[in-house]
Formats: sequence, structure tokens, C-alpha cells
Amino acid sequence: MSRVQDRLGTWIGWALFADLASAFTLTFGYMFSRPVTMQYPDKEKWLPYSRYRGHHFLKRDEEGEIKCVACELCARICPCDCIEVVPYEDENGKRHPAKFEIDTARCLFCGLCEDACPADAIALGQQYEFSSFSSRDLVIGRDDLLGKPGKAMTGGGVVTARLNTEEDVLVETSEPHGYNWWRNIRRT
Amino acid sequence: MELLFALGLIAIKIALLIAMLLLLPLPLTWLERKLAGHMQQRMGPMRVGWHGLLQPVADGIKLLTKEDHIPAEADRFLFKLAPILALAPPFVVFVAIPFGETVSVLNAEITLYVSNLNVALLFVFAVIGLEVYGVIFGGWAANSKYAVLGSLRTCAQMISYEIPMGFAVVGVVMLAQSMSLVDIVRAQSDVWNIVYQPVGFLVFFVAGLAEAQRIPFDLAEAEGDLGAGFHTEYSGIRFAFFMVSEYVIVLLVSVLSVILFFGGWNGVLIPLPPLLWFALKVAFFIYVFMWFRFTLPRYRYDQLMAIGWKVLLPLSMANIIVTGIVFS
Ligand code: SF4
Ligand code: SF4
Repeated sequence: MSRVQDRLGTWIGWALFADLASAFTLTFGYMFSRPVTMQYPDKEKWLPYSRYRGHHFLKRDEEGEIKCVACELCARICPCDCIEVVPYEDENGKRHPAKFEIDTARCLFCGLCEDACPADAIALGQQYEFSSFSSRDLVIGRDDLLGKPGKAMTGGGVVTARLNTEEDVLVETSEPHGYNWWRNIRRT
Repeated sequence: MELLFALGLIAIKIALLIAMLLLLPLPLTWLERKLAGHMQQRMGPMRVGWHGLLQPVADGIKLLTKEDHIPAEADRFLFKLAPILALAPPFVVFVAIPFGETVSVLNAEITLYVSNLNVALLFVFAVIGLEVYGVIFGGWAANSKYAVLGSLRTCAQMISYEIPMGFAVVGVVMLAQSMSLVDIVRAQSDVWNIVYQPVGFLVFFVAGLAEAQRIPFDLAEAEGDLGAGFHTEYSGIRFAFFMVSEYVIVLLVSVLSVILFFGGWNGVLIPLPPLLWFALKVAFFIYVFMWFRFTLPRYRYDQLMAIGWKVLLPLSMANIIVTGIVFS
């Protein structure tokens, strides 16, 4: 009986174009909802969450000395074998890396090097725009790593940005906080 | 002198008409992409000009400067002829389309139509039927399987939908007692035809969607399964011809819907200039066309044929009979 009723209801719905009407109201509603487009790279860009694993960076301690003690644990644990550390001993008898290279072309950004480090010297930071035309440019040395941006502080947001094509193509932003992109997602 | 003046007037009107029809597809493509974007929570074109307003111009330049490629095995004459055959009929049809009553400019009475044919409706349907030649030749001449399949589909579709479309407007002709589009609009000055002819409008509009090869009846170019249908092999300016023709047909079906069923330039409630009323109604229908496009999925080919022959044709005939009984 209920099946017959269902059938009947469906047929009445079809005859009155109920299905079409609901479809059209849905698309009409969507037309006036905010677009989710992020206008990367010349208008907006995404600030990653603080847990984001981007480009590596090396930390310094309070004296400004590099924290790394060149124990090579990160090189050991790295599943891609992309870290190369050559140690040296300074005049105070402390070990530091003479050479510290990460081949980001091979790196899979697993973050194991960060976990393994006993001196809390290496971590994966906020930067994600480092594509290059040559894989050789993707081998990053010690001094470059010291200058890389650290962990994201605010996390998760869209900020206004601008594209700087003067010398190097850079997506610049000065905004620390973005709006929450997810607020534009319409859930029906 | 009189004759010269009349001829000059007609020439000016035709030039204006052609300019309008050639230029209108530009904003329409922009509008369509914007609507598509916003219905899918995107932004659509944003980069060229303010909110992408100059995007159609950029596209036009791109199409004009692209290589005009003719496949090696193609029938070169037909291949070159087809875009023109597809483009010409929709333009010719507008000769018979009235945009309003007479207006007086500089003490001269000027009619807002090129000619008031007494068989305008017949003329419109006859000429629009010719467009199918462009499609057939285009698909055949390209010597490509996608193009041939697309053109076969299109022909079957256009021919079978022309019949219910023609029957659907018979009711309107019966009400107005005339085939002249001007008279049909005049006959609707009190009550629009949509009140008496809802079924006729429904059939006309659905058939119009099929005529214009818009979703849900865009089997001809079904991007997913046929490449691009009959214009798969076309590039550059010849492709642009097909696109322009498609948009002009969308415009034509909108204009015909307004003239035949929605009172043409007769307004309601708000007293606006008749031409503005007309334009607003046409704009609404163009919007509806695009709204349909981004809402509905495509029909299967057998469903398309079934709708045409088993639903629309009987409906349009029943409409004629009922109209005849009630209004005689
Ligand atoms: S993130 Fe993983 S793959 Fe990359 S360098 Fe560290 S350990 Fe190696
Ligand atoms: S970064 Fe950490 S784990 Fe790697 S060599 Fe330096 S101290 Fe050792």
C-alpha cells in the first residue's frame, strides 16, 4: 500500500515539476552564496596551519648559535636519505654542522627529522612556495635553512597577497591573520 | 526621394541589427561563464578587465589569431561553407522580428522592425529550419567520426523538435487570428498568451531548448562523449561562427518566447518604455536558459527522442484541439 502511495506521490511530484523546482531553487541559492575561490597568487594566498609541514628550517639558540649538534640522527631516520650532515668541532669543543644539506626534491615532508632531533634544532616550517626549474636549486644548504621562515603562528586563513615579479616571482603578504576560508563553504 | 529614404532607413536598420547580433554574444558568453561560476561557488572570469568583463574580447582576439585548421581529408568547400550556413539563418530570421511599435525620431515615424511580414511566424520557422544544413555539412565535411555522429544527432534532434515547436505556436496564431508577429503582440495587449496557452508555452520552450541545443538537450556537442559534436574539427574564426550562431539562436528563442507568449513589449503594472520591457523580458529568458544549463543533466539520446515524439508532439496537438474548441 505504502509503495503505491509512494509511486503516486512521485507521479504527482513529477506532474507538478516538484523535482525541477527543487533543483532550480538549489542552484539559485548557490548563485548568491559566496564563492570559495582563492585568488592565488596575485590577490590572496593561504596561510597554513601551525601543524603544517612545509620547508625545513634550522633554529638558533639564545646566543644566536646554531642549535644543531651534528649528531646525524635526522640523516639516519630520514626515509628518503635526503639529509647530509658533515660535523666539525669549534674552539669551545662543541660540535656543529660544517655542511647541512637537505635535498627537498627527494624529501617527502614526513617530519621524522623533526621528531628525531635531540637538540630541537630542525623543524618543518610554514613556507610552501619553493618550486624551481632545476632540481639542483632544491638542495638547500645550512645558511639558507637558518633563514627560512619558522612555524606558522596563526594558522589556517586566507590573507591578501600580491605577486612580486620584479626579480624573483614571490607571493608577498604582510598580513599575519587571514579569514577562515571554511566559512564560505555552503553546507546544505 | 521617398523610396530612397525608405531604402536608406532599411539599410540603417539592418546594419544596426547585424551589429547588435554580432556584438551581443560577447556579453552573453561573459554572463554565461559568470553564472556558471557562481552557481558552482566559483567566481568565473576575474582577470581580464573589471570582474573579467573584457574576457570575451580577449577570447575573440584569441580565436581570430588562432590557426584556421582544415583537416587533410576534409571536403574543403563544404567545410568552409558550413559555418556560414549555420550563421546566416539566425541572422536572417531577425528581419521578421519586431522589437516594438513605431517611435518618432526627428518628426519621422520609425518602426522598430525591418519588415512586418504577414506570414512572419512561418518565415521564422522556415528559415530557422535551414540552420540544420550548416550542421549537416559541418559534420560531414570534417571527415571525423565525432563530427559525423554529432551532426547526425543534431539533425535528428532539430528536425524532430521543429514539429512540436511548430504545433505549439498554432494556438497562438489561432488566438491572434494572424501570423504577423506585430499583430500577435497587439492581440496580447490585455492578457498575455501565457494565460491561455500554458501548455503551448511549455512545449515551445522545451522544443526551443532542443533547437538551441542547450542543456538538457545538448547531445549534439555532448562534451563528455563526442568531443564537441559537429564542430569538433573547427578552429579559429570558423569555430567562432558556430558559437555566435548558437548564442543568436538562444537570443532568438528568448525573443520568440517573449513575443508569442509573454506579451512582447506590453508591460504590466510598472509603466516602462515598451522597448525596455521587451529587453527585460528577453534578458530574463536568456537567464533562464543559462540557469537550466547549470542545473540539469543531459538527457540520453533515446530519452530525447521519446520526449520529442511521445510527450511534446501529443501535448502540442492536444493543445491545438483544446484551443480550437474553447476559443472558437
Ligand atoms: S621531512 Fe622526512 S623526508 Fe624530509 S628530510 Fe625530514 S625525515 Fe627526510
Ligand atoms: S638537526 Fe638535530 S638530528 Fe639533525 S644533525 Fe642536527 S642535532 Fe642531529
